[in-house]
Amino acid sequence: MGRGQAERLFPMLEGLLKQAGIAWRDLDGIGVGTGPGNFTGVRIAVAAARGLALALEVPAVGVTMFEALAAGAPLPALACLPAPRGQLALQLFGAGGAGSEPFLATPDEVPARLAEAPGGGALTCIGPEAGRIAALLDASVALPVANPAVAIARIAAARLETVRERPRPLYLRPADAAPPKEAPPAILP
Amino acid sequence: MADTLTVLGLESSCDDTAAAVVRQRAGGRPEILSSIVAGQTELHAAFGGVVPEIAARAHVEKLDLCVEAALSEAGLRLSAIDAVAVTAGPGLIGGLLAGVMMAKGIAAGAGLPLVGVNHLAGHALTPRLTDGLAFPYLVLLVSGGHCQFLMARGVEDFTRLGGTIDDAPGEAFDKTARILGLPQPGGPSVEAAARAGDPRRFALPRPLLDRPGCDLSFSGLKTALLRERDRLMEAQGGLTEQDRADLCASFQAAVTEVLAEKSRRALALYMAEAPAEPAFAVAGGVAANATIRAALEAVAAEAGARFLAPPLSLCTDNAAMIAWAGLERFRLGRRDDMTLSARPRWPLDAASPAMLGGGKRGAKA
Repeated sequence: MGRGQAERLFPMLEGLLKQAGIAWRDLDGIGVGTGPGNFTGVRIAVAAARGLALALEVPAVGVTMFEALAAGAPLPALACLPAPRGQLALQLFGAGGAGSEPFLATPDEVPARLAEAPGGGALTCIGPEAGRIAALLDASVALPVANPAVAIARIAAARLETVRERPRPLYLRPADAAPPKEAPPAILP
Repeated sequence: MADTLTVLGLESSCDDTAAAVVRQRAGGRPEILSSIVAGQTELHAAFGGVVPEIAARAHVEKLDLCVEAALSEAGLRLSAIDAVAVTAGPGLIGGLLAGVMMAKGIAAGAGLPLVGVNHLAGHALTPRLTDGLAFPYLVLLVSGGHCQFLMARGVEDFTRLGGTIDDAPGEAFDKTARILGLPQPGGPSVEAAARAGDPRRFALPRPLLDRPGCDLSFSGLKTALLRERDRLMEAQGGLTEQDRADLCASFQAAVTEVLAEKSRRALALYMAEAPAEPAFAVAGGVAANATIRAALEAVAAEAGARFLAPPLSLCTDNAAMIAWAGLERFRLGRRDDMTLSARPRWPLDAASPAMLGGGKRGAKA
C-alpha cells in the first residue's frame, strides 16, 4: 500500500478488532513499527499509535523493523533492509540477542563495516536484502518467522511492563536541509 | 445535541504543534479552557525558513504531549470531551498527516466523533470565538502562508474577494529578514528594525495597486528590496544599521500601503451588501504588526466598519481556533469518519476560480 495509508489504517484496524471479536477497550497496549522505512508511512503509524495509547490509557510500544525481522531468527543475525539511494539499512544482533547500532551502508561497504561479525556460515542474514548480503559475507539466509505486524505485536506484548519511552520513528539519516548558501550582508559600524 | 459542547482541537499544519480545549453553551460565549502551542522556531532557525521534513519529525513527537497538557490545563479527562477537531489542511502534508492520525487515534480510542477543520476557516472564524461576530463579516487573512480577503457568510460559507497571486506577506517579511541578516521569524525582527528607519528613503514598488480588484502580489517587492540592498553593498561594501532600518521601514511601508488600499476596496464590496453590523477582522500572524494593524484600523473606520484584531496568541497558529471551528461545524451536525484525508491544498472558497496552483494537486487558493 503506497498512497492511502492514512485513509485505510483505521478502517483496517477496526476490521481486525471485529474479526478478533474484541473492542478498543480490550487492548492492553499498542505495538507499532517504527521503521526504518518510508518516513511518511512510519509517521502515520506512530502518530496513530500514540493517539490510541493516549485515549486508551495503555502503553504504546515502538518496535523497529530490524527487531521484527530478527525475532525468532538463529543468532547471531543480521537484519537487512533496503534504503534509498542504493544503500542498505542494517543491524546486527549478537549471540545474546542484543542489537548493535543500526546503520546505513552501500553493499561494497558492508564487509568492512561488519569485520567483527562471525563468518563461515555462523551468521544468519534475514530480511528483504538478506540474499545479497549473505553472498558478500559468506553467511546463511533465513526467512522471518512471522509477518512483521505479528512480530511487532509479540515483541510489544513482551515489553508492555517495562516500556518507558513513547514510540518514535527510527530515522537513519537527518532531514534533508541545508543552511542558506548566501552569507548575510556585512553590517558596517 | 448537548446544549454545552466541549471540543478538543489539534493543529500541526506548519511549524507550530498545538492542542486546545474550547467549550460553549449553545448561544453562549465560548470559553478557551486551555491552549497549548509548542513552537519549532529553534529547529528551523539555521535553515532560513521552515523545513517540511524537520517540522513533520517534530509534530509526531510533540502532538500527544500537547494534547495531554491541554487536557490537564483544562482540568478535563477525555470523557468530558464531545468531539475531536483537527486541521486536515491546507498546509505541509507531513504535519497534517501527523495531526489527522493522532486525532483519529484519540477519537477511536475514546469513542468520540471526529471533525476535520480547514486551517483557513480556523483563522477566519476566530473573530466569532473572541468577539462573537455575526455573519456576514469581512476578514483579511494575512500570514506566512496566506493572504486573502474573505467574506464570511456562514460557518462553511466563504467568498474570496481577492488574494495574493504569488507570495504571502509573512513570507516576504521572512525573506526580507534573511537578505538583511536579521533573525527569523522575520515579522517581529523587521518590525523592530523598522522603528528606527525612514519609510520614505527607498521608493519600493506598490505591486498591483494600479490594477482594479483585491488581488495582491509581494514577490516583486522582495526583488526590489534585494536590488536596493545590493546597490548599497556594492557602493559601501556592506550595510549600516541605518541602511538596514531604512530598508525595513520602506519595505513595511510598501506592504502596509498595499494591504490598506486593497482592504479599502474589499470593504467597499462588503459594505455594498449593507451588513447589519459591519465588521472588518484581520487574522493571521502578520496582524501582529502594529503599523499594518493601525493602517487597517483607519481604513475600517473610514468605511464605517468595526475593526477587530484578535489577540496575538489567537492570530498566529493555535489550536483554540481549530477547536472552535470544529465546534461550530459539529453544531451544524458535521462529522468526519475514519477515512478523513489530509489535504495539503484546500481552498476555503471552492466556488471562485483558482488563483494559485492547479493541475493534479489542485488549486492552492
